[in-house]
Amino acid sequence: MATLHGISPIVGEENSKIVVRGINRTFHLKKGGGEPAREFVALKDIDLDVRKGEFLVLVGPSGCGKSTLLDILAGLAHPNSGEVRIDGKTITGPALDRGIVLQGYALFPWRTVRKNVEFGLEIKKVPKAQRRDISDRFIKLVGLDGFADRYPHELSGGMKQRVAIARALAYDPEVLLMDEPFAAVDAQTRENLQDELLRIWEETKKTIVFVTHSIEEAAFLGDRVAVLSANPGQVKEIVKVDLPRPRHNSDIRSSPEFGWVRHKIWELLQNTPHEPRAQVDSRPVADAISPSAAL
Amino acid sequence: MHPALKETIGYHALRGSGVTLFLLLWELAPRLGWIDPYFVPPFSRVLPEIGRLWQEGALQLHLVVSIWRAACGLVLAALIALPVGLLLGERFAALSEALDPVLRVLSQVNPFTLMPVFVLFFGIGETAKVAVVAWVSLWPILFYTITGVRGVDPVQVKSAASLGVTQTELLLKVLLPASLPTIAVGVRIGATITFYILVAAEMLGSSAGLGFLVHNSAMNYQIPRIYAGATFIVLLGFLLNRTLQLLERNLFDWQLAAAYRPHGGGYQRSLWQPGRLTVAAGSAFLLLFLILGGVEVQKIDREAAQPASESGGHSHHLGTPVDNGGF
Repeated sequence: MATLHGISPIVGEENSKIVVRGINRTFHLKKGGGEPAREFVALKDIDLDVRKGEFLVLVGPSGCGKSTLLDILAGLAHPNSGEVRIDGKTITGPALDRGIVLQGYALFPWRTVRKNVEFGLEIKKVPKAQRRDISDRFIKLVGLDGFADRYPHELSGGMKQRVAIARALAYDPEVLLMDEPFAAVDAQTRENLQDELLRIWEETKKTIVFVTHSIEEAAFLGDRVAVLSANPGQVKEIVKVDLPRPRHNSDIRSSPEFGWVRHKIWELLQNTPHEPRAQVDSRPVADAISPSAAL
Repeated sequence: MHPALKETIGYHALRGSGVTLFLLLWELAPRLGWIDPYFVPPFSRVLPEIGRLWQEGALQLHLVVSIWRAACGLVLAALIALPVGLLLGERFAALSEALDPVLRVLSQVNPFTLMPVFVLFFGIGETAKVAVVAWVSLWPILFYTITGVRGVDPVQVKSAASLGVTQTELLLKVLLPASLPTIAVGVRIGATITFYILVAAEMLGSSAGLGFLVHNSAMNYQIPRIYAGATFIVLLGFLLNRTLQLLERNLFDWQLAAAYRPHGGGYQRSLWQPGRLTVAAGSAFLLLFLILGGVEVQKIDREAAQPASESGGHSHHLGTPVDNGGF
């Protein structure tokens, strides 16, 4: 996988937190009208290493399997072949060593902010008094003190996502997996949340794998950015982001170095074919333009 | 006067005007000779009849009997429909699809058309009436439970699953609380239908209960008493529905609770979250009512089964001065 300009995705297993080896995931797409099921290769021979305490961003066009890869890391989906090791141990399913933050806020509307944050602690069977201390700490960490007894419906989108982050951090996972967490909030809130996330990351020293389709977000957050290509989903190249830290509360976004990183990722994504045109052209024209063909 | 208070009073005056108009018509129509006052006595003659029944203790007695039957049927229906609905909705989605048509057909079976069959299986005693009530309230609870469990946001399930929760934890901490608002609607609908059906069942064959009171009054041409019983039943159904609605709103309406408490003030309104003690006390009360009510109803049934000549004193106690309505 090593390319001319990039860095090999394999950095050596001894100082890796997460080791991904030879992951393949294929979906069988069922089609109507007696056509045979088409195979869709979501992930093909994925190798990836994430260092302890690293902020790794996965970026790629839609359909490149980046969310599928995150689900596999979370233990929510299983690969057809290959394995994921965390601290040298092969994962078999979801566990409390990984926290996940999803695009939909996924908060429980019948629970207050505090009870949402304490959810993982209840599953972990942490005693009640201790739960309260921990939830207090994490609600404060995400800047929501004073909102502990509010319900999710009373919060803005940005606030909800802070609760989701607090909930994922509260049971103290070593790895934080984030699937386009800021995709649903407005641009201003998004930049604030990115700043906050970097601050929290530096305070808690978690290993973070962050999926996004925003080039800007990838360049701003990541230590390294893995650019994925679609069809089949593969790691095209890993870009090392050498921008100085701390990056939050700085005007790094307007620096020329930031512009260069952003351009580099953009270029890699441009060379990625979004939809293989040949496949459409090879079919009969009538079939291609009929409304059902799109389905 | 405070403008908000004025507005509240105005609102309730408007809401009450329809009922007031109806009662006024009820009073005037027989008095002015628009309808025969023998068949439709004016409201002012029905009201004292309710008071008299209450003083005799007959109303309370029939009320307890009816509520006991309704509660038994409803609890029985919930005990069957909730677990079955949760299982069908969550675990066996395919089975639930396959069973759906047959369940829909069964839910349309009116227990009165099959009354002989019900009597055959359950006799003519309390069991048959409780079975009828359970049968009709079972379906809304079952269907709403299935719908509720299926409607749980997959993202919520996914984020719980990412913590490695067990099936039981997922059910108790996510699926059940998420679908409770929907299930509560099913229970409310079930309870409302229950009341209709119960009154009808009591008219068909029983020796106590609000339906019996109305039926028996009709048999004895006690016309104001018919209206007294009917008015009381309407009132009771209304109260039942309102109470359940109020409970629903205060227990489950997260969205509404938030709407009442906007950022930066507004008046506070938070959800009622009963503690373990409250839930335990409520359940104990229900259980006690079912047991004591059962004993009481058995006693009433036994008294009513005795020949009229022997139980003359008791039948007056039941508010049935002349005849037991042929049963």
